[in-house]
Amino acid sequence: MAANAPSSRPHQEILLKVENITKRYPLVLANDNISFEIRRGEICSLLGENGAGKSTLAEILCGACRPDSGTISFGGKPTAFASPRDAIAAGVGMVHQHFTLVPTLSAVENIFIGTKSTGILLDLKPTTRRLEELCAAYEVELDLHAKVSQLSVDKQQWVEILKALFGGIQLLILDEPTAALTPQESRKLYANLQKMRSEGLSIICITHKLEEVIDASDRVIVLRNGKLVDAIETAATNKEALARMMVGRDVMFRVDNKRKEPGEALLEVDDLTAYNDRGHAALRGVSFTVRRGEVLAVAGVSGNGQKELFDVLVGVRQAAGGRIALDRKDITNRPTTFSRGHGIGSIPADRIHQGLVMDFRVDENLILGRHWDSRFTRWSFLSQGKIAAFAETMIRDYEIVPPSASQAVRALSGGNLQKVIIARELSQEPKCLLVNQPTRGLDVGATEYAHRRLLQERDRGAGILLISEDLAEILSLATRIAVIFRGQIVGMMDGGEASIDEIGLLMAGIHRGAPRRLQ
Amino acid sequence: MAVQQLRKSAGARWKIERRPDVSTGRQFVAILLALGVSFVVSAVLIAVAGASVGRAAVAALHGAFGDLRAIAETLLQATPILFTGLAVTVAFRARLFSIGAEGQFFAGAMGAVWVCMLVGDRLPSAVLIPLVVVAGLVGGGIWGAIPGLLKAKYDASEIIVTVMLNFVIFFFLAFLLGDAWRDPSSFYYQTPRMPAAAQFPELIPGMRLHWGFVLALACAAMVYVFLWKTAWGYEIRAVGINAEAARYKGISIPKVTVVAMAVSGAIAGLAGASEVPGLHQRLVLDLSSGFGFTGIIIAMLGRLHPLGVVPAAILFGASVTGISAMQIAVNVPVAINQAIQGVILIFLLMADVLVRYRVRRTNPRV
Repeated sequence: MAANAPSSRPHQEILLKVENITKRYPLVLANDNISFEIRRGEICSLLGENGAGKSTLAEILCGACRPDSGTISFGGKPTAFASPRDAIAAGVGMVHQHFTLVPTLSAVENIFIGTKSTGILLDLKPTTRRLEELCAAYEVELDLHAKVSQLSVDKQQWVEILKALFGGIQLLILDEPTAALTPQESRKLYANLQKMRSEGLSIICITHKLEEVIDASDRVIVLRNGKLVDAIETAATNKEALARMMVGRDVMFRVDNKRKEPGEALLEVDDLTAYNDRGHAALRGVSFTVRRGEVLAVAGVSGNGQKELFDVLVGVRQAAGGRIALDRKDITNRPTTFSRGHGIGSIPADRIHQGLVMDFRVDENLILGRHWDSRFTRWSFLSQGKIAAFAETMIRDYEIVPPSASQAVRALSGGNLQKVIIARELSQEPKCLLVNQPTRGLDVGATEYAHRRLLQERDRGAGILLISEDLAEILSLATRIAVIFRGQIVGMMDGGEASIDEIGLLMAGIHRGAPRRLQ
Repeated sequence: MAVQQLRKSAGARWKIERRPDVSTGRQFVAILLALGVSFVVSAVLIAVAGASVGRAAVAALHGAFGDLRAIAETLLQATPILFTGLAVTVAFRARLFSIGAEGQFFAGAMGAVWVCMLVGDRLPSAVLIPLVVVAGLVGGGIWGAIPGLLKAKYDASEIIVTVMLNFVIFFFLAFLLGDAWRDPSSFYYQTPRMPAAAQFPELIPGMRLHWGFVLALACAAMVYVFLWKTAWGYEIRAVGINAEAARYKGISIPKVTVVAMAVSGAIAGLAGASEVPGLHQRLVLDLSSGFGFTGIIIAMLGRLHPLGVVPAAILFGASVTGISAMQIAVNVPVAINQAIQGVILIFLLMADVLVRYRVRRTNPRV
């Protein structure tokens, strides 16, 4: 990220003052007596694990929810936002992680409907002119009249930022702003945020990426279990100290990854083609081989065919052409039940929608997909005793918290949801493991846990296909790295030698020289 | 604009939000409150109709629960809607919005009657009654499986198909009653009486309540076991909550769709195979007073759970018997019957929503 973070700040004036904010939900105390200040013209990171209370705090600040007690003063005046509209009117803008744009409208139209109370006639010209100025000022190329659905993710995010800026705000809150960006795009974003800061805007970035905190913010506010741990100058701290504050113990950043020599070919994918849900070609001749005892990582910006690749391999999407073989046996377009029976485990990208049945209990989720196994079901009747015993073992072995088999998974944290899925998939000792974004949205502790488990599987001899948009994750786990761009593998390199810049360029579809092909 | 100004001048806004947790006790209180409010509204209706509210209330209560006969009558009324409520429960649990219990009810009744026509005069009760029940299951099951298959194979909306099939079976029955199945000795469009061997015995001697009610209770227990204790039910619930996750774990959505619709149809068919041999003994066109549709309300009130559906059905049965007793006693217009029933249902459903959501007043400035 762009350096020169702890630069001299032009203002020391307090813009936002939060005092003794408490918010209680039925099961958790989300914010426990939190107090801090935001100065004019600073970038402040809000750091914390999942469930630490970051999102709740951000929702309170942008008016989406109200605290049970505590006071907020903004620009010197005590305020209590009753709705996001109040917050925007007062000068607080929020960019959510999941964008709130209307995909079929253009950027101008989105911003217009989001900010103006319209008269009878739609006059977009003044809006357009103002937006063009903003884009020029921050050197962002954006077709303001293109439909939002045709814009890339970083451009969509820029539309969201423009929408916030357009209202004339003093405080901008961004929730996980780099989650869907390439390293280069992230750098560009932070460069622009710093420019906004130098113009007097205050910015709060919610994140769990420690590198970004160190590189780009002036101050850090660390939350843990709903409590404020510390609010400190970034210059006065480092990555290890922040991680300790966030998790409450020491954290290993790189899992101990002793690469072993992989075994024979396990999963062979040859010239695979497939369509996405809209009927466009999503995979355009993908070929690779996963060997036993290796992690083949597929890097790429979201939406370049990763979802379709995973779906076809799992068996929930038809391959239009090509061949998939497991142990030299053709499994192309076989149903999911078939591939499971042949030793394929899968961890889907979306825990909540693809991985778990949220209203089911923990034990019910642990047998999902195996509920017909003679181990759990006799004559169609579920063997409650055996299922309970199995669930107890899994909860103990995989350290699932709270340790209750009869708990609905809905009440579990993100990390524990993922543990339920990991337990379910790994307990079958699969030959081949398909993993899509295993740590997206997880905190440091849970990420470390998932990584350790995956490497254990690799060492056991499983072949792992890891699809991820997190380069740090790929670099620390991969035996080899394949880069996917527009449905094709555009580069394949050795995990030990790859550089983040090289992968980043390939992810953006730019070949600098010929990519090295190892296989 | 005016509304907004009003809001501004009041300095407050109203917001509807989901309640984070709803305790069973609160739900129970809400149901009692809803009943209370609907009684008040009903009292107004009765007073407007010019009758004594006090006498009406006594008559209604007595009619529904006053003596053994009243209770038996209430349970008799509850029987068909208990079946259809359970049928709807199974389909809705799979997130299949079947509106077809009405048609499946007729299909089941027709199956039961057809079996009697084929072999009814040759078999003893011990064989014929089980056969009649199975015929009802099969008839309703087939009529339920058809929309299931169409949904699984062609993604045809189960809502539209089930509604249409209700008409199809009804008019097919009308055709049969006017022709092949018509009782030649009768002036009316109806089948001949069933053989005595096929009729369900009385549950309490001298009263209309028959063993169909026990069958319905047993059916409730079986639906519970099916949904929560078998791998089939597990799949149905998994698909209903999250079809995507189920698919990723190898559950076949088409298979679950057909199974859930067929089972749901079979249970609704059982309602028909209990009403005819238990009560009417013959097929007539007005066999059902919307049992299939009432079943949807019963299932929703019962929170798609047999333990809720049973009391919901009995409560509804009580309202039917109580109100008609009242109508006779205080001599109010017949239309009041349905009005009061509607009032009760609306308030119960409102209570259901209010218990899960709350309206809150928020002040922009504290």
